[in-house]
Amino acid sequence: MTEQTWHRVASLSDLPEGAMAAVDAGGSPIALYRVDGQVHATANVCTHGRARLTDGYLEGHLVECPLHQGQFDVRTGAPQGLPVTRPLKVHEVRVEGDDVFVLA
Amino acid sequence: DGARHWPPGEVSRIPYWLYSDPEVYRRELERIFYGPHWCYVALDAEIPNPGDFKRSVVGERQVIATRLEDGAVAVVENRCAHRGVRFCQREHGTATEFVCPYHQWVYAPTGELMGVPFRRGVKGQGGMPADFDPKANGLRRLEVARRNGLVFASFDPAVPSFEDYLGPLMLQYYDRTYDGRPLKLLGYSRQRIPANWKLMMENIKDPYHAGLLHVFFVTFGLFRADQKSAVEMDPAGRHGVLVSRKGDKVLNDVTQDMRQFQENLQLQDPRILDVVHEWPGEATVVMQTLFPSVILQQQVNSMSTRHIRPRGPGCFDFVWTHFGYADDDEEMTRRRLRQANLFGPAGYVSADDGEVIEMSQQGISSDPEARAVVEMGGRGTGNADHMVTETAIRAMYRYYREVMGL
Repeated sequence: MTEQTWHRVASLSDLPEGAMAAVDAGGSPIALYRVDGQVHATANVCTHGRARLTDGYLEGHLVECPLHQGQFDVRTGAPQGLPVTRPLKVHEVRVEGDDVFVLA
Repeated sequence: DGARHWPPGEVSRIPYWLYSDPEVYRRELERIFYGPHWCYVALDAEIPNPGDFKRSVVGERQVIATRLEDGAVAVVENRCAHRGVRFCQREHGTATEFVCPYHQWVYAPTGELMGVPFRRGVKGQGGMPADFDPKANGLRRLEVARRNGLVFASFDPAVPSFEDYLGPLMLQYYDRTYDGRPLKLLGYSRQRIPANWKLMMENIKDPYHAGLLHVFFVTFGLFRADQKSAVEMDPAGRHGVLVSRKGDKVLNDVTQDMRQFQENLQLQDPRILDVVHEWPGEATVVMQTLFPSVILQQQVNSMSTRHIRPRGPGCFDFVWTHFGYADDDEEMTRRRLRQANLFGPAGYVSADDGEVIEMSQQGISSDPEARAVVEMGGRGTGNADHMVTETAIRAMYRYYREVMGL
């Protein structure tokens, strides 16, 4: 496995409260979420079907896949019930001023 | 309709339009195969582990039987709730969910709808109405009955219990072979028979033909017209058994029998007749017809289910599942496999049945106003203690007339 590095992926001002953004961190598709002022990052591809979670819905801490309504907790990546059973990979986030960094 | 005349109560004359009329067939599917009857779908041994599934058929509808985590079996229709697609294209497999290829609707093995792609639209556009209820849009789930290794299903929630459906006498015969010992799958034979499905049921309710059509039986001593036998039914007349008993002396001396019947014919490999007596009582053959979909075969040491899958009034698929008991030793398994050569589409015995009912259908369908004569053993529908009778066919038609309103 290649060593993880920090990537600048977005500006905080482009990610309002309750929004999602699809970004790229060194080739990995990442979903950014802003909930209760905090920024979270997970893999952007659902662990069940082949869909991008940022094409789905963010409700509180839960993101719902647009394909089959599988839900994950964006803080932990934990699946919330069928049809999803495998967790999302969660990425560490660092915010410096307006710059959002993701470890990937 | 004068052309569709059948005197009330008559069961010893069977009109031939019953075997070719599309309207009669449509009603059979609705009232018999999709009505309050148990149809065979699988052996427990075919789907031993959670997620294992088998595709099967009830009437003309494909179904999927899946083993659940708790050991129960769910049977659902293989028809997407969205646009009707027969989504499952595999005969057997293991799956945690079923996905329709057309629009990727996802179902649990219980039929519950788990996901609808773009249910909430794409970027706020389209999607299902807000009141769309996944719980009300799952796959059709059938009633399921399991007893000692076999799985049955019914589309009708009002179906009686399996035990009541068979009745005490038929249940006693059922439990003789299916006594709770786990079964072991040995293999399948499949054939498509261009004949009406009822002719197959009639064939196994007809002991009269056994010693006449099946020259192999007679030639090699597996059947004699004078051996002790019985034809018995449930009170409704829809199910039946043909029981054949044979003294131990005859059983143990196969070669003597062979001389007795036809001196000049010898089997190249006589091990096919290496029969051991393995069930309590005297019976060596118990053939049970469970109306409308299956024949349970125990003939010498060969066991199989023969599943009737109708395909229109003039055709059905006939699927044989051969099996033994899980605790059979290698020798017994080999014996059952050898004896299975008597049965199936090319069996030394059963090839005759497939061919002769095809010939029946040919004669029958060219003259729908003519009638079959079913008077061997009288015109009644009671049990008999001999083979020279067609009583079980008459009994089936007594029930058939009732359920069909004909």
